[in-house]
Amino acid sequence: MDKKPLLIAEHIDKRFGITHAVNDVSLTIDAGEIRGLIGENGSGKSTFSQMLCGIYTIGGGSFTLDGEKLHIRNQVEANNVGIAIIVQEMGTLSGLTVAENIFLGHEEPFMHFGIKDTGAMNREAQRLLNEYGFGRIKAADMIDHYNFEDRKLVEIVKATYSKPKILVVDETTTALSQNGRLELYKIMDAVRADNRTVIFISHDLGEVLAHTDSVSVLRDGEYIDTVRSSDVTEDDLKRLMVGREIGSAYYRTDYGQKISEEVVLKVENVSVPKEIRNISFSLHKGEILGFGGLSECGMHEVGKAIFGASWDRSGSVTLADGTVISNIPTAIRHSIAYASKDRDNESIILNESIRNNVVLPSIDDLANRGLLNQRKLTQFAEKHAADMQTKMQNVNQFVSDLSGGNKQKVVLARWIGKGSDILVLDSPTRGIDVKVKQAIYALMSELKEQGKSIIMISEEIPELLGMADRILIMKDGVINGEFLRHPELSEEDLIEKMV
Amino acid sequence: MSKTLEKLKASRYYGLVLLGAMLLFFYGVFKILTPGNFGSLSNLYTYLQSSIIYSVGGCGLYFIVVMGLFDFAVGANIVLSSIVGVILSSKFGYAGFILGCLGCGTLIGFLIGMLYNNLNVPSMIVTVGLMLIFESVAVFVAGGVKQTLAPELRFFSGAPGNIILAGLAFLLMYFILNYTKIGTYCNAIGSNEFTAKNMGINVKKYKLIGFMLLHFFVGIMAILTVSYGTTMTALTGMSTMSRNFQPLMGTFFGVAFRKYKMPITAIIVGEFIISIIFNGFVALGAPTTIQNVVTGGALLVIVSLTARGGKGSVVK
Repeated sequence: MDKKPLLIAEHIDKRFGITHAVNDVSLTIDAGEIRGLIGENGSGKSTFSQMLCGIYTIGGGSFTLDGEKLHIRNQVEANNVGIAIIVQEMGTLSGLTVAENIFLGHEEPFMHFGIKDTGAMNREAQRLLNEYGFGRIKAADMIDHYNFEDRKLVEIVKATYSKPKILVVDETTTALSQNGRLELYKIMDAVRADNRTVIFISHDLGEVLAHTDSVSVLRDGEYIDTVRSSDVTEDDLKRLMVGREIGSAYYRTDYGQKISEEVVLKVENVSVPKEIRNISFSLHKGEILGFGGLSECGMHEVGKAIFGASWDRSGSVTLADGTVISNIPTAIRHSIAYASKDRDNESIILNESIRNNVVLPSIDDLANRGLLNQRKLTQFAEKHAADMQTKMQNVNQFVSDLSGGNKQKVVLARWIGKGSDILVLDSPTRGIDVKVKQAIYALMSELKEQGKSIIMISEEIPELLGMADRILIMKDGVINGEFLRHPELSEEDLIEKMV
Repeated sequence: MSKTLEKLKASRYYGLVLLGAMLLFFYGVFKILTPGNFGSLSNLYTYLQSSIIYSVGGCGLYFIVVMGLFDFAVGANIVLSSIVGVILSSKFGYAGFILGCLGCGTLIGFLIGMLYNNLNVPSMIVTVGLMLIFESVAVFVAGGVKQTLAPELRFFSGAPGNIILAGLAFLLMYFILNYTKIGTYCNAIGSNEFTAKNMGINVKKYKLIGFMLLHFFVGIMAILTVSYGTTMTALTGMSTMSRNFQPLMGTFFGVAFRKYKMPITAIIVGEFIISIIFNGFVALGAPTTIQNVVTGGALLVIVSLTARGGKGSVVK
């Protein structure tokens, strides 16, 4: 059956200052299709979709939906013409109830002469939540009583209850557990079955191939190609995204390397109330120690606890020389680095320059009798940002202008510049494209060769299998399994200990 | 079991119990210390009557405080609106008095909102500037003379007039928060202004509405204040600044108990608690300075117990 075009994008263009984020992109998406939209960080895929959804104004060109040219100024207008988006970060608002969040900006059906019928709104929201299978979420509750994933489910209901013609799913799955992902896939399939369309943005190429009909690729803001998902492999997509062959040197290829006997960090009976219990392990010199598990298993708290960032931690974290790590300044002073999973809120200062972000923990080292030499700071930042091949105009550029991958490079440049010997990297490649991923893996291997030790916390099993010398799997706040690096080690072995 | 406890802790009942416990605690302390001249039923009724005046202002402030804004011109508006109301009352009786206070109050809210929206500077700076201007305007309008409300126009000076008017104000607040979009949108703007904008909310419009509502309630507060005190004198030099804080204390209670979906009750009970503390010290014969120290301390303790972020959380 011939499908009819639902969305036609013609010569879509957008600039942010001197950055040409989307450059003359034209593509067509059919009704009843799930279209993957992929590209490296900074390729323009999010900017493109956010223009479609009214979050950004269109710089040039036009969108035509179902034969009608669109003139959208904000998200509500996009909703009104049948376009909805689920974003990667938190999209619900604190201080409102679940029902108020679902119908925010769309209260009219519940308004009578300016008076809001809260009861009717709550009942309708609850009906929708039940219909989606999220009945445990109560419409009248304050949204603040729910965790990130539940709030994401509320957002899914909000974006889809009105049966939009186009649903944009922008890297949402990274915020969801396996069950949440399955729910989202079901909703995407239902949208397609209803002859409506999904634009699915994800860095997980396996997920993209498994759940889309076709995939469009953007690179450096330009449209590259659209391929049928059934006709290509992940490597084909990587090639299209990056513009060259990639894959052979993606993960480490060495096996059977002996881990040094020298212990650099000892963690004993570390507990954080409601998060982790009696965590004990040793980190060896030159070791990449992986932590895996389901997203709520407590592994992310382990990273914070080691770095001294958990205020109510018990147990001990001790360095080889006997130094006890009880707070962040001590950790940094003794060469421990930490990159949080929540990059934008916990790892970088968004409204600051690359320079000031890079020099932050090294300021004391760079000062001369307490006085700072601005040129020295700039040179320091330039060197380490360049070493990390950060894509930037110069080090004075604000970090908020950078893509996710380049923000992560700034974080790593900071700690490499500090000369940290122990790096705790929580989800180091979260939301990062394949090219930067490859660069980060190469850097980790290089650091390992230099004798640095790395704790890599990851929700991506292939990453753990591909990079770690040893993997600790966590479940319900405790370590539930330990695996040594081995070519025969499979995803199933790890999953068995996770669930 | 722990889930049930968590659910209970998130419920409105838990909030009510917390408020009740605080009320009982402070009442109990002063009752034990000065059993003779504190806390009789008639005393409590008097404390309540004085506290509801501030509660009305606290309700108004709630609209802008949840949006992350602030207003230093509340005190100046109480003085100016009272004076305008009293002057008009001499010609038009109750109609002039009520409409003068409410009209002047709301107009000032409109001016503040418009200036804030168009100048694009922090609300604190706009309102400090306007406070100085309004204080001078009040002196000019009053002609440098103390304004006295005529004895026959003092229905709101005590019960039941003040209780009825304040009760109507609380009902209005309840209605706005629960049965209009304003409450939802103010909360949304305070939570994330950018997202709120993307949801199609006209942020500037709702900030303007917030300021107008605040000062409409300040107008009601002006009616109650000048009725209670019977006179109003216009003074300059930031002398109205101290009038900002008593209603604001109630607002803090309201914001803290928003999570229990009972901000109005919290504002009313919160102001009552502050009133009990004040009057408790008066009964003890403590000097005003000590009263202020302890009241400020009590506010910090109460808000810390109710609204404090978890240890390790970022508070600005």
